[in-house]
Amino acid sequence: MHRNDRIKLAFLLPAALWVLCFTAFPLVYGAKLSLYNVKIASPDEFVGLRNYVHFFEDERALSSVWITLIFVFCGVTAQMILGMGLALLFNRPLPMRGLFRTALTMPLFATPIAVGFLFFTIFYEEGGLINGLLHLRVPWLSSPYWALASVIIVDVWQWTPFCFLIFLAALQGIPDAYYEAAMLETKNGWAVFRHITLPVLQPMVILVLLLRVTEAFKVFDIPFSLTAGGPGVATQVLSMYAYRVGMRFFNFGYSSSIAILLLILVMAIIMTLFKRIRQAYQ
Amino acid sequence: MGRLKRRRVSQSGRFLLVIFAVGVMFLPFYWAASLSIRDPKEAFTVAGLAVPFAQYRPTLANWRTELATGETQRALLNSLVIAISTVIAAVALGAPAAYALARFRFRRPSNEDLTIWFLSQRVLPPVATAIPFFLMMRFLGLLDTRLALIILNTTFNLPFVVVIMRQAFADLPVELEEAAQVDGANHLDIFLKISLRLAAPSLAAAVLIVIAFTWNEFLFALMIGTLKAKVIPVHMAGAVDTRGVQFWFVAVRTLIAMLPPVVLALLAQRYIVRGLTLGAVKG
Repeated sequence: MHRNDRIKLAFLLPAALWVLCFTAFPLVYGAKLSLYNVKIASPDEFVGLRNYVHFFEDERALSSVWITLIFVFCGVTAQMILGMGLALLFNRPLPMRGLFRTALTMPLFATPIAVGFLFFTIFYEEGGLINGLLHLRVPWLSSPYWALASVIIVDVWQWTPFCFLIFLAALQGIPDAYYEAAMLETKNGWAVFRHITLPVLQPMVILVLLLRVTEAFKVFDIPFSLTAGGPGVATQVLSMYAYRVGMRFFNFGYSSSIAILLLILVMAIIMTLFKRIRQAYQ
Repeated sequence: MGRLKRRRVSQSGRFLLVIFAVGVMFLPFYWAASLSIRDPKEAFTVAGLAVPFAQYRPTLANWRTELATGETQRALLNSLVIAISTVIAAVALGAPAAYALARFRFRRPSNEDLTIWFLSQRVLPPVATAIPFFLMMRFLGLLDTRLALIILNTTFNLPFVVVIMRQAFADLPVELEEAAQVDGANHLDIFLKISLRLAAPSLAAAVLIVIAFTWNEFLFALMIGTLKAKVIPVHMAGAVDTRGVQFWFVAVRTLIAMLPPVVLALLAQRYIVRGLTLGAVKG
């Protein structure tokens, strides 16, 4: 072996082996578990694809799929639109811009589980912040529809800053000359945005979309703490259902098959965007 | 003249809109702070914005009670130990790998494929490895240990370190390293004494992000760290189950949990964009 080859492997291998041990192996192990009926006391029983078949007959599982898709679609759409709006507002001179930008960064790293509990007190129907402040009687957490909306609102609160920061960075990279040239043609601000800003920003929009979609599918903490999946199962996203089947009912086999199906769902959506993302990293 | 006036109006309109947006985003933090210094008797009775001093007499009693609890102190210690150990492990594994990807040529698989491979773990929903990981840790006798959570968080955060640092190393001028090589320095020396030091700002960004994400991790902490290895997020969740809606404690614990990562986010502001987009945006 060439000396350089040994050095470069010495640098790379520890991390690669770590990933094989603690990501690749558990994943394969999970795929295997999903084909078994795992019992605590007796040996596992091979059941083939029965867990997967069961998924498509399980009403709770199917409703979790819908809840997850609605959550991802509405949440990510709202974050991207609001983030873009804010970025456009910040893209021109503004008093105290640095301070405001800092304030908007704060929700990003706030512990999600704590955010959920905090918003529980904010959405609380008697004496909570929103109903109290606006004199409303909205059943934020007790109505199935409002509960899902509440979970989405919290996610939007936490992740709009992410879209905002990236879009703002991208907007500030657009040379003024583009706008000056466009202004010679039209005075219509929307037309400039539609035909200059948006096309230049397109790779960033796709990147943010991709990052947000993959993260949103993982959601667990916020519904766990804000609504505990309820009322009933109105906000029980797929991650949560897999967790409950596994850790509350100890049905490890079925839980693994739900997790694998969630992974397939995410991958299918990512694959459609994959080529574009590769370009962003080259 | 008319146009200039209209522009000024839209300028202040824009300012008001920004103030409103920032206010809405900031309100939950204010609300948590306001709740946490309220007497429990007044948790539900103070109306509207609940301005301290004006609407109620603030007290630090809730904070004192909470911080004096042994369980809270132990959870804080666990969170701290796990976050720091994780960041050390993730950097020790990730930075050399990033250096290899930035400076050496790999063929099969190629550098790009390897990078994407490291990245692809961020796509993986944690719940997909949760049950297998739980069973692995049970098999190894590591349930309810800090070590299990350190291993796990290192796994989750390794991609951040690899991808952020790969970009940082790639951006460094290669001439310095070549000059050192001519002087007879070996690769390990060059990596530790030259490249890693020059890439310090990116390293700081990676470190802050890893600490914040480790501190916030909940799903696996809930499954694995039930008693001895209980961290702050799990401690919070347990309290709400047993105490019901004791808003003032929820608020105190919320702030204890959130403050460290939020402060880190503010410190790392310059690097957040680069970090969270896994190096794709310079920001």
